[in-house]
Amino acid sequence: MSNKAPARSGGLPPAARQRPRADLAALVRKIGSIPFEVSETRTDVDVRIAPEHLLALVDALHNRHELAFDYLRNISGVDQSPEGMELKYHFYSFKTGYALQVTVPTATGHPHVPSLTGHYPAADWHEREAAEMFGFVFDGHPNLRNLLLEEDIHIHPLLKAHPLQAAEILQGIESGPPGFTI
Amino acid sequence: MTPFSFGGELFGMWNWLDAVVRVVIVVTAMTLVVMYLTYGERKVVARFQQRLGPTKTGPAGLFQAFADALKLVAKEDIRPTNADRWVFELAPYATFVPVFLVLLVLPFAKDWGVRNLTLGMFFVFAVLGLNIVGIIMAGLGSGNKFALLGGVRAAAQMISYEIPLVLSLLAVAMVAGTLDLNQIAMLQEDRPFIVLQPLAFLIFFTAMLSEMHRAPFDIPVAESEIVGGYFVEYSGIRWSMFQLTEYASMWGFSVFGSVVFLGGWAFPFGEDWGWGWQLALTFMKSIAWILTIFWIRTTVPRLRIDQLMAFCWKVLLPLSIVQLVANGFILVYDWPQELLTATSGGGAVLLIAIIITRSIRRPKNKYVGSYRQVGVTS
Amino acid sequence: MSIWPDEKVLTPGEAEFDTVDMTINIGPQHPATHGVFRMILRVDGEVVVDCEPYIGYLHRGLEKLTEANDYRQAMGYWDRTDYLAGMACEHAYVMAVEALAQIEVPERAEYIRVIMAELSRINSHFLFLGAFGADVGSFGTSFIYAWRERERIYDLFEEVAGDRMFPTYMRVGGVAMDLPDNFEQRCRWLLGSIRQGIEDLDGLLTGNEIFVERCRNLAPMTSERAIALGITGPILRSTGLPWDLRKAEPYSVYDRMKFDIPWRPDLQGDVFDRFWMRLSEMYQSARIIEQCLEQMPKGGLVLNPDLPKTLRVENGEAYIRYEGTKGEYGVYAMSKGGNKPYRMKLRSPSFCNLSALREMVIGSYVADAIIILGSLDIVLGEVDK
Repeated sequence: MSNKAPARSGGLPPAARQRPRADLAALVRKIGSIPFEVSETRTDVDVRIAPEHLLALVDALHNRHELAFDYLRNISGVDQSPEGMELKYHFYSFKTGYALQVTVPTATGHPHVPSLTGHYPAADWHEREAAEMFGFVFDGHPNLRNLLLEEDIHIHPLLKAHPLQAAEILQGIESGPPGFTI
Repeated sequence: MTPFSFGGELFGMWNWLDAVVRVVIVVTAMTLVVMYLTYGERKVVARFQQRLGPTKTGPAGLFQAFADALKLVAKEDIRPTNADRWVFELAPYATFVPVFLVLLVLPFAKDWGVRNLTLGMFFVFAVLGLNIVGIIMAGLGSGNKFALLGGVRAAAQMISYEIPLVLSLLAVAMVAGTLDLNQIAMLQEDRPFIVLQPLAFLIFFTAMLSEMHRAPFDIPVAESEIVGGYFVEYSGIRWSMFQLTEYASMWGFSVFGSVVFLGGWAFPFGEDWGWGWQLALTFMKSIAWILTIFWIRTTVPRLRIDQLMAFCWKVLLPLSIVQLVANGFILVYDWPQELLTATSGGGAVLLIAIIITRSIRRPKNKYVGSYRQVGVTS
Repeated sequence: MSIWPDEKVLTPGEAEFDTVDMTINIGPQHPATHGVFRMILRVDGEVVVDCEPYIGYLHRGLEKLTEANDYRQAMGYWDRTDYLAGMACEHAYVMAVEALAQIEVPERAEYIRVIMAELSRINSHFLFLGAFGADVGSFGTSFIYAWRERERIYDLFEEVAGDRMFPTYMRVGGVAMDLPDNFEQRCRWLLGSIRQGIEDLDGLLTGNEIFVERCRNLAPMTSERAIALGITGPILRSTGLPWDLRKAEPYSVYDRMKFDIPWRPDLQGDVFDRFWMRLSEMYQSARIIEQCLEQMPKGGLVLNPDLPKTLRVENGEAYIRYEGTKGEYGVYAMSKGGNKPYRMKLRSPSFCNLSALREMVIGSYVADAIIILGSLDIVLGEVDK
C-alpha cells in the first residue's frame, strides 16, 4: 500500500508540480479575442483586463482544457488611488499545475466588477470581504452583506483614505460613497 | 435475642419516629456520599486523564466538595425573564424527589433500609419513571432552546431505555420469585444473580447508564452541543439540586444494581459476618460500580440520538424479551438452573458478538496505527 | 417510498402536522465553536435545515495594521493569525517579504524555520485532535492527552524564541537568533514524546468503535467539489487528492525532505478521513523534523548579514502560497517603495474552509453539525484576520 500511486476516485490526475511561467504566458496569449495585457510579477504570470471582459476571460480560463483553472485561490482588493481600485484574482489549476494572477482595474467612483460565484463557489466569501473592505460592487453576487464587519457599518477600512486611528469613533456612521470622507 | 437488633425497629421506638430516624440517617449518608462522589469523580477522572485533580482545599483536596457546596449556595439564583416561573423553580425538586424515594427502599444491610417493601423492585421502577417529569419541566420551563432540546432528548431516551431496564430486572425477579429487594439479596447468599443472568446484567448496566445520562449516553446534557441541556439556565442552589440528583441517582442505582445482580449485602458471607460486613459489602460494591461508570465516561465519546435509539430498540429490547421468554420456559418446566446461566450467558456472548462484529464490519481495526504506513510520495 | 401500502407518503416539506422550524443560535460563546464563531442553525427537530455562519468577532484589522507598520514591526501581527501555529504564519510572512525584496536566506536559517514550522503544525494538529475528541464527547480525555505534548512543544519554543505562542522569532532574511546549545538533543527527545502522543491519541480515538461510528460517512466530499469551494489542506487531501504545497510547489528546503502525503485507497473526504489525515500528517512532520536535524549545517549565520537597518522594497507584487496547518496560507504582498507594504492580503485557509460549512452541515443532525464544524479545524484568529 505504501508509496503506491493512488487510483483516482474523481478522475483527477495527481496534483501536478508547478509548471514554468513562460509556457503559461504563451497559452494565455492564445486566448485572443479579448483585450488584455500579460506581464509577470515576482511569483506569477499576471493578466490585466478590464472588468467588462473579466467574465469572458474567466470562462476561457475555466473551460479551456489546456488551462483548466479550477481553483480560485484568493481575491485581494488594492486601493490604487488616485487611479481607482484594483482587484487581484489568483487562480490555480490542479489539472495542469499553472498559477495565474488576474488584475482587474476599476475606474474611480465606479467599482463594479462581475461576480465569479457562478464559476467558482469559493468566490462567495472572498467577494463579500472585498466588498466590505473596499466598497467593490460584485454584480451578480447572491448575498453581498458585510462579512467581517458589523452588519450596520458601512465604512471601507482598507481604503487608503480611511483613517487608522479614528476607526473606533466612526462605528455606526452611515456613508455612501466608497471614497470614505470623515 | 441480642439487646440491639440492627434489622428490627431502632430501640423499640414508635414506628413513625423510627422511620424519621432512618430517613435522617439515609439522607445524611446520601449527602456525604454525593459530596465525596463529586470529589471522587474529579480525582478519578483526573487520574485517567493524567492530571491531579483538586489538591488545594485541605489535604489532597478533601474539602473541595465543601468549598463547591459553599460556592453554589452563595451564588445568585437567577431565573430568566422568559422562563415559566413555577415550572422553572420546581423542576429541580421534581427531579430530586423520585431519586430520593428510591433510596427509601434499598436494603443497605440485612433487613435494613428505611422500609422494606414486599414490592420493592416494583416501587423502584415506578418511582424512577417520575424523574423524567422534572427534566421535562426544566427543559420546557427554562425558555431556552438548548434546554428544550435537552429536555426532549432526555424524554425520548429515558422512555426508550426504561423498557429494557425493566425487562432485564423482571428476568431477575422471575428467577428470584419475589420483588422484595431484601429477599432478592438474601437468595444470593451462595451465588450472585449475575452468574445466572449475565445478559440481564449487561442490559441493565447499559440501560442504567442511559437513564442517568452518563457517557456514552449523555446526549441530553451534551456539553459540546447543547451546553448542559435541560439545566443550562440554572445556577446556584437549583443547579446544585440537579447535581445532587445526578450523583444521588448514580449512588442509588449502584446500590440497587449491586443488590439485584451482585448479591448486595449477602454475597459473600453476608449472613455470617454480621452487619458491619454487610454495610461494607454494599459500600464496596457500589463504589466498584461507580468507578466503572467513571471509567466509561472518560474513555468513550458520545453516541448520536439515532444510534442510541437504534441500539435500544434493535438490540437491547429483543435480547431482553428473548431472555424473559427463555427464563419463563426454564422456570415453568423446572429445567435445571444451569440452563439459566447457559441461555443468558449465550445471550451475553451474543450481545458482545454483535458489538464486535459491528466493529469488524466497519473496518475499524484497519485504521488503528494506519497513520504510520500509508502514503504517497509524489 | 413506504413499505406500507396504505401509508401516506410525505414529500419533503410536507408534514402531517404543522411543524415550525426552530432556529438555534450557536455561539459566539459556545464550547464547540473553538473561539468566537457564531452560526445560526435552522432545525426541523434535530435535523439541520439551514445554517448561517457569522464571523468577524475577532477581526483586528490585520491588513490595515500591516500597511501602517514597517516590515519588521508588522510581523508581530501575523503570528496572531493562526495562533496555534505562530511560527508557520511568521514563516509565510517573511517568505512574502523576501520574495518582494529578493532577499537571500542562510541555509541554516531555512532549516531552523522548517523545524519550527513543522513543530507548529504538530502543535496545531494536536489541538485539533484533542478538541475534536471533546466535540465528539469524550469528556476532555483526548484534550488532556493532546495537551501533554503541546506543553512540551511550547516549552521548546520558549527556550528557542523566548515566547510560547507568539514567538516573533523569524526575521526577514533569517531568524532572530541561533538555536540554544542543547537544541538537537531536546528536539529528538521531543520527537519521541510526540510519537508517543500520536500513538496514544490514535489508540484512544481511532480505536474507539463509537468514535469511528460517529465520524465515518459523515459529510463526505469529492475532490472536485472541495476544489470548487476553495478547500485546501488536510480537508482537500482527505478527499483523496494528494496535493500538498510542500510537494507541489516546494519552498524553503522542503524539496530536500523525504516525506509522504498520507493517502488511503478508501479516502472519501468524510469527517473521519479529515481526522485521520491530520493524525497521519503529524507523523510525517516528525519525519521532516528528524531529517532537518540531520541535514542542518552545524554552524554558520542564521540571519542575512547584508540587510539594511530599514528595509525598503522596490515596486512589485508577489503571491506567496504556504502550506499552513489548515491549508493554503496565501500572502499577497504589494510594494510601492518605502519601508511599509502598500498592501498585504492574507488568504487564510480557515476562512475558505469555513465558507464550505453551510453546504456540509445541511441535512445532518445538530450533534453532527458540531462535529463537522470541529472537523474543519478553524482558528478564528485566522478566519477573522
